[in-house]
Amino acid sequence: MATSTEHAVIEALRAGDEDAFRALVAELGPSMLRLARHYVSSAAVAEEVVQEAWLGVLRGLDRFEGRSSLRTWIFTILTNTAKTRGVREGRTLPFSSLAAQEGTGPAVEPDRFLPDDSRFPGHWAVRPERWEGAERLLARETLDVIERAIARLPAAQAIVLTMRDVEGFDSAEVCNALDLTETNQRVLLHRARSAVRRALEEYMR
Amino acid sequence: MIAYKFLAAGGIGPFSGFRWPRGEWVEAGGVEECRRGVHACRARDLPYWLGQELWEAELDGEIVEHERKLAASRGRLVRRRDEWAPPLADAFVGDLLRRTRGALGTIPGVSGYVADIERFRAGRRVGLAAFAAARAAEHYGGAPAYERERARQAAWLTEHLRLDDA
Amino acid sequence: MRLDRELPCVEVVELVTAYLEQRLSPLDTERFEEHLAFCDGCSTYLEQMRATVAATGAVADETLPPELEDKLLEVFRDWKRR
Repeated sequence: MATSTEHAVIEALRAGDEDAFRALVAELGPSMLRLARHYVSSAAVAEEVVQEAWLGVLRGLDRFEGRSSLRTWIFTILTNTAKTRGVREGRTLPFSSLAAQEGTGPAVEPDRFLPDDSRFPGHWAVRPERWEGAERLLARETLDVIERAIARLPAAQAIVLTMRDVEGFDSAEVCNALDLTETNQRVLLHRARSAVRRALEEYMR
Repeated sequence: MIAYKFLAAGGIGPFSGFRWPRGEWVEAGGVEECRRGVHACRARDLPYWLGQELWEAELDGEIVEHERKLAASRGRLVRRRDEWAPPLADAFVGDLLRRTRGALGTIPGVSGYVADIERFRAGRRVGLAAFAAARAAEHYGGAPAYERERARQAAWLTEHLRLDDA
Repeated sequence: MRLDRELPCVEVVELVTAYLEQRLSPLDTERFEEHLAFCDGCSTYLEQMRATVAATGAVADETLPPELEDKLLEVFRDWKRR
């Protein structure tokens, strides 16, 4: 639901308040660009998508009813714009469950677990080690590891992970913006998070 | 009613990371479907939840009995059972190790569990040792043997911790 | 636990996301937590997953490229003049 602050922002934009627009762009723009990049072939095209999306936002101001938050509404316009542009480039994103199964394996390499004929089949053969030092996880180098892991993900997984865990949208917001079922969204999120965790485990060794 | 809770070091919920206050009531809303609700053990549930700190907890409101735990709409920690500490935990594992060795130690295919339990004991992995003993019993004697082993574990804890119910 | 109720670790790691989303069935939630109660490997795994999610949230938002900022301002001014 849009807050009264968000309605005030809408009013300011409608009145042509440039500072209000600048502030909103500063707040949401970088995230929008990051997300758009997963849909299209280049950074330059992603920038065009962001421009187009903001134009869509401005043109749609009168239609904003406040049923969702302003941010969710803007990001829905962004993802729709990006998707359309991606399709024009011949990129269709496999968001369907079936497609989501492809190209990625189990969350953890099978050889990390004991075989079926052992006394504890399916249990850890080599246990994960605790990651000591929370500060290390927030260091620049570690965040780079995460960014690189996200860049390697199939686009649909990267998009869901980015919206959920980078941008902090909740499950319902992401499902609405991307037109996914909750299960679909969760499968993509699971695969994406598992891949990022693997990358971090590798790095933290 | 009085029940028991195992918490991680520092009085922290092992799954939620929730820092339990001492003595204060904690409200959990409804107990629908095991998602919410304050969780606690009856004495017979203890072997499944072995953790670092054992606390006596008072439960109130709506209390639902699940297969291996209780869920209540409110609860509070009453007192810590300091007796549950590494020496007693080791004695507990020693007991189930003797029992497992005695019942199954020479049976091929099952005797490997004894070495496992010895290793888990050395690593102070108490919950895992208890699980392994029950798994070993089941391997040889099926589900009834599993349940019997778990009941023996609960009985040992009830006796040595001098708990009220069983 | 009894084999019919057990969730071995290889399955637990596939259920972690559903658990964190609170979308596991009540029975599976119980089985998941019962497993974690004795399995320090999976407890560590869950902790790693939580840490991964938290760290992902810290991935920095860069600022926009200045030329894009300028272009967006142009978009706004053009739209104003419509």
